This record gives sequence, C-alpha cells and structure tokens, in this order.
Amino acid sequence: MSTAVIHADQAQRGRRGDLALLWHQIRYEQLSFWRNPQSAFFTFVFPVVIVTVFGALFNGASGDSYFYGLSALQYYVPTIAALSVLGACYSQLAIVLATRRQDGILKRVRATPLPAWMYFVGLLAHCIVVSVIDVALIVAIGSVFGVPLPTHWAAVALALVLGAACFCALGVAVASLIRNAEAAPAVVQFVLFPLLFVSGTYMPIHSAALTRVTGLLPVRPFNQALLGPFAEHGGFAWGDLGVLLVWGAVGSLVAIRRFRWDPRPE
Amino acid sequence: MNAVVVSGLRKSYAAVEAVRGIDFTVAQGEIFALLGPNGAGKTTTLEILEGFRNRDAGRVEVLGCDPSDRGRGRALREQIGLVLQDIAVEPYLTVRETLARNAGYYPAPRDVGEVIGLVGLAGLERRKVRSLSGGQKRRLDLALGMIGGPRLLFLDEPTTGFDPTARRGAWQVVRDLRDAGTTILLTTHYMEEAQELADRVAVIAGGRIVAEGTPATLGGRDMARARVRFALPEGCAIGDLPIEVAPSVDGCLISIESDEPTKTLHQLTDWALNRGTALEQLTVDRPSLEDIYLQLTEVAEQKSPERGEERTGR
Repeated sequence: MSTAVIHADQAQRGRRGDLALLWHQIRYEQLSFWRNPQSAFFTFVFPVVIVTVFGALFNGASGDSYFYGLSALQYYVPTIAALSVLGACYSQLAIVLATRRQDGILKRVRATPLPAWMYFVGLLAHCIVVSVIDVALIVAIGSVFGVPLPTHWAAVALALVLGAACFCALGVAVASLIRNAEAAPAVVQFVLFPLLFVSGTYMPIHSAALTRVTGLLPVRPFNQALLGPFAEHGGFAWGDLGVLLVWGAVGSLVAIRRFRWDPRPE
Repeated sequence: MNAVVVSGLRKSYAAVEAVRGIDFTVAQGEIFALLGPNGAGKTTTLEILEGFRNRDAGRVEVLGCDPSDRGRGRALREQIGLVLQDIAVEPYLTVRETLARNAGYYPAPRDVGEVIGLVGLAGLERRKVRSLSGGQKRRLDLALGMIGGPRLLFLDEPTTGFDPTARRGAWQVVRDLRDAGTTILLTTHYMEEAQELADRVAVIAGGRIVAEGTPATLGGRDMARARVRFALPEGCAIGDLPIEVAPSVDGCLISIESDEPTKTLHQLTDWALNRGTALEQLTVDRPSLEDIYLQLTEVAEQKSPERGEERTGR
C-alpha cells in the first residue's frame, strides 16, 4: 500500500460521491430525530402547543396598547415562531451534541471517513427542516385564529435564515463549553429561560432600560426582526439583524476553537 | 510490508508518562495482541494509532500514513475499522439502519445483511438499538468495525461482556477476517483470547513493552520446565518421595519442576503403585500464558511504581 494509491482512491470518488454522501447523512440524521420521542416532542410539538393555547386564550381580543397596539395573537405568532427556531437550533443542537459526545458517538463518527463538515451540515439541515415546518405550522395556526399573514415575506425569510444560523452557531458553542452531558439540558434552559422572559417572548416588555440591554443579547433582536414584517408592516430590521450576525460570529468562533469530539480530552 | 510501525513512541498526560518508548510492528495479514494491565498504556497506544491522540515523540505509521495527519485522514479512515472500549451506538435506529448508515460512509462497504449474520445478529435487523442487550450492542459495534471492509482493524477489548459462546463466535469472525487478508491489532485482558487468536503478542506494563513473541514462546514459555503436581498421600512424608530435586509445596499440593517429566512421572507413579496408594489430583503442565503474563507485569510494575492514567472504560 502506498500513498499514491490512496490519492487515486480519493480522486476516483469525485464530487458526485460527496453529494450523495451528504444526502445519505441528512436522511439518517432526520431518521434519528423523528425516532427520538423526547426531542421530537420538546423541539417540535412544544411551540405548536403553546401557540394553540394562546390562540384559544386570546381569541377575539383586539388591539391593545399592552401589545403595542397589536392583538395578543398578532404579537405571539412571531415570538412563538422565534421560540420554535430557538428550540430547534439552539437547545436541540446543544443537547444532542453534548449527549452524543458524552456517549462516545461523536468519537466514533470521527473515526469514520465521513468528513466533519458533512456531519455538521447533516445536523444543520435537520435544524432548518424542523424550524421551517414549525414556523409554517405556527403561522397556519395563527391564521386559523384570524391573525393576518406576514406583510413582508422577504424580510421574514431573511430574519429566519439569519436567526437559525445564529442560534445553530450558539448551540454548537454551548455544546463545546459544557463538560458533562447530564448538565446539558439544565445549562441550556438556565441560560434560555430567563432570557426568553426579559426579551419579550412570553410578554411584552415596556421597560426602556431593560429593552436597551436585551436588545444587545440574541433573543430580543430576533423577536423584533420577525415582529416587524409579521405584524407591524415593517421591513428589514437591519439593526436587529446586525446584532444576530455578531452573535452568530461569536458563536461560530467559540465553536470552531473549542469543539471536542472526545468525551475524555487529554 | 508492515501494516503498523511504531518506534520510540512516547506520550504523557500532565505529569504521568503513560507510554515511555514503545516499539513494535504488525505485519500485514496477522493478528497482533497487546496485553497489559489497566493503565499500562494499551489504549493510549491504540488511540494514537487511530488518530484520536497526538504523540509526544516517536514515529508511527499506519498503512504507510501518519495517523496524526488529518489532511490525509479521510483516505486512511476508509481503510481502517475500529471497535473502541466503550459501546457507542445511536439508540433510536434499528440494527440494519445503523449498519446501512455507516456502510454509506465507505467507498466499498461489505453487504449489510452478510455482516449482520457474521456477528450473530440475524433476526434482530429490525430491532431498535436501545432494546439490545449489552452483548448484542457490542456485537453491533464489531459489525460497525468491519462494515467498511477495512484492511486494518483495531479492536480494543472487543469481547468484554460476551458470554462464552458469543466470545467463541467473535473469535471465529476475527480469524475469518484475518484469513481474508485483514490485519488485526487488538488489546485484551483475557489470556485465553490472546492464546486462541493472536499470531503474535506483546506485553505492555508501565508504558513499556516487557516481552514480545508468539503465544507459545512468550517469555521463554516453551523453554520452561514442566511442573508435576499432586497431593501427598496420607501417611507419607516429603522425604519418602523417590526424587532427587527438592519439591515445593504449592497450597496443599506438592509441586516438582522437571526437565524430564516422563522420567519424573514414571518414578512417582511406580513408587505410588508399589505402595498401593494413589496420587490424588495429579497434573503435569507448563506455565500458562497467564502465569508468564503475571510474572512479567509484576516485575515491570515493581520497577515503575507510578502507573499510567487509569483508563478502564466503564
């Protein structure tokens, strides 16, 4: 066996083989997710349940100054849509990666010829599929309760893409920093839960001081970037999208520098 | 041509030197076993060869490549299979799905159904991995190690947790792989496994190789003297025995070492028959691989009291 033979093997495989392999990986990633009742429920069903409950609670309520002149549901459809992306990207990715590392599954993947980037693309594709289905369902349920459809689809799409990318990066970053998988769900929720409250996901925030602070953290800008084009006849919220971009870059940097495959590092 | 070459390999964790200058080679198409106590450096050595860890010093070649060179890693990993110490399989896929997924990672994988049959999981294809027993998961692990049709297979304590039947089945799978041309490097605690399976054996203790050879000749085993053991008949003193060498007392048995076991045995049985007594529990043997192993590792542990990092897996 010589290295020349190895190079010949590599050349023979070619680009098309890589695309087929990527598709193969995405399919099996999907299969693992939908088979796991816990992740399927919490990341997929939970936001849909919340928006249905809110729909039943606030059905028929009209514009209210508490909701900045919107109806309660006009406010909640975009914030819960944002919540579903957070669950599918940030929470899900952080917990899955920390658990798989702890169980030695990541180490095993590392030992196969599957390139690392393909493994991650497989995971990200799955986060995006779950996000898209969830957001579509939430918008559909909203319209059943009489919430008008978004007014600026392009701005909604851009906010969703950037938000998903940002929270995927943050999810991988948090997974890189968590040492022990049993702690992963707790750490993830401990960070996220208070942040959701102060960022206005569950109730509008009327404190100017608080919104100034949370406007620099990742959740509120995402809510705002969706609220505008969804309900307030707004367009691209460049300021908020910029904040998301910065958080996404920070997350990517931490993820790239600190990600580990081995449960027992040297 | 050698499948694996290791020379002057060294590796430390913080203050502990786990591997202190190891040299060995594994020829293509042989089964090579690394024996040693926990913390001797077996797994560290294997993980360096598998590309999981970087070495501090020395030269390592795996199928002609340096495993720490990740740029060429993909092509190398296409030709290597491995079974690690810990069971690690996705719980929610079925047996067949798990193997089919990994088969897709390799350019020329083996047939999924055939591999399932080889490791003895036929009939469980549609079972979810989480519902398998520990031994069945371990067999799935072995199946994952060979699904890519590797030229070189690393097995880190592959039969831990197997029942005796499953263990023999796994040995046959490994032998068949070797006969089909796969090189195998394994670590084990089981002397029986090394004896049955390995073409060559190296004993690691305290981060060094203390002996190397075939299972039959390791540590001068083939040259060692035979040992005749029996219970002293009632009413006899040791001095009554018709032999020149001083026997030793091994528990409640008399033990005589002999260069000529045929002669010694004849003298003893002749004497016993004439007296009309029997030699209860009479055996003749040579030191087992386990005896040699215990001797070798004991000496090495005494020489280097500080042990490597404890890596017993679970």
